[in-house]
Amino acid sequence: MKRVLSLFFIAALGVLLLYVVASMPPMGDPQTPTATHVIPRYLERAEEETHTENVITGVILNYRGYDTMGEVTVIFCALAAVLAVLGRERRGRIRGFVDRSPVPSSTIVRTMVRFMVPFIILFSVYTILHGEISPGGGFQGGAIIGGSMIIFTTVFGLYESSRRIPQKVRAPLEGSAVIVFFLVGALGLVGGGNFLTYAWPHAARGLQPALVTWLTVLVEVGIGLGGAMVLISILFAMIREEEEIALTA
Amino acid sequence: MSAARDIVAGALCCIGTFFFLVGTTGLLRMPDVFTRLHPSTKCDTLGACSVIVGMAVYSGWSWELCKLVVIACFLLLSSATCGHAIGRSALRRNIPYWRRQGKETGDGNGA
Repeated sequence: MKRVLSLFFIAALGVLLLYVVASMPPMGDPQTPTATHVIPRYLERAEEETHTENVITGVILNYRGYDTMGEVTVIFCALAAVLAVLGRERRGRIRGFVDRSPVPSSTIVRTMVRFMVPFIILFSVYTILHGEISPGGGFQGGAIIGGSMIIFTTVFGLYESSRRIPQKVRAPLEGSAVIVFFLVGALGLVGGGNFLTYAWPHAARGLQPALVTWLTVLVEVGIGLGGAMVLISILFAMIREEEEIALTA
Repeated sequence: MSAARDIVAGALCCIGTFFFLVGTTGLLRMPDVFTRLHPSTKCDTLGACSVIVGMAVYSGWSWELCKLVVIACFLLLSSATCGHAIGRSALRRNIPYWRRQGKETGDGNGA
C-alpha cells in the first residue's frame, strides 16, 4: 500500500515537473526576456568594454563588480564568524607526523597525495590566471587550492599542513580578496574614472586595454589567494588535535 | 572519414555512459561496502575512460588530445587510490561482510 502510494506521489510530482518544464521557453530561445534584456549588450560589447575575452569574467568582475565585491566580503565574514566561534587552530603537543585515525594511512595513499597535490595547485594557478580568457577565475582556483589542502590535511594531519602554510602567512592573505578588490576599485577613482570600472579615462588610449586586463587579472589573483586561505583557515579551525590526543591517550 | 570518426566517438561515449549507469545502479543496489566498491570503481575506470577515449577520437590529433591523455592519467591514478583507501579502511575497521541470511537480507547498510 505504502509503495503504491509513494509511487503515485512520485508519478504525480514527475508529471507536475514535466508540465512546468514544458511551459518554460525553449533553451536558447532568443525571444525570452533573459536573452533580450542585457545579454545582447554584454555579448556584443563586453570585449571592447571590459577587455576580457571571457564574457562571464567581464560580467562578474566589471559589470557586476559591486555584487562580486559583496560576495567576497561575505566569504571573509564567514571566516570571521568561524574564527569567532571556534578560534584559530590548536595544534597538538606532539610534533611531527602523527596518525590519529583508527586505521593508519596507507603508503599508496600518502605517495599519491604527495604526487598529486603539486599538480592540483598548478592547475589552480592555471585556473586563476586563465580565468580572464577561458572558464575559470579566482573563486574556482581558490576552491581548488583549498581542496588540495583538505586532501593533504586528511592524509598527513594538521601539524604537517599547518607547517607548510603557517598562520603567519595565512592571516594577512585571508583578507586579500577584499583588500585587492577595494584597492583596484579605488585605483579607478584615482585614474579619474569610476569605482570598479578599472578604466582610466585620462590614460593614453593605447594603454587602456592592457591596464584593464591586468587590473582584472590582479583582482582574480587576489580573490583566488583570499578564497584559498579562507577555506584552509576554516578547515584548520575545525580540527582539535589537543582533545583528540586526550581521548586516545 | 569524418562521419566514421563521429560514429566511433559517439559509440565510445555511449559505452562509457552505459558503464556509469551500471556502476551507479550497483552502488545503490549492492548490500555492503565491499560489494558497493566493486561497481562504483568501474565508473571511473571503464566509464570515464571510455568517454575520454571517445572524446580523443573526436578531437583527433590536437592539443585537446594531450589534455585528455593527462586527464585520463590523473583520473586512473586518483580513482584507483580512492578505491584502495576505502576498501583498506573498511577492511581494517572489521566492517562485517554481507551474508545472505534466510529471508532477512539485512537492512542494506552493511555495517
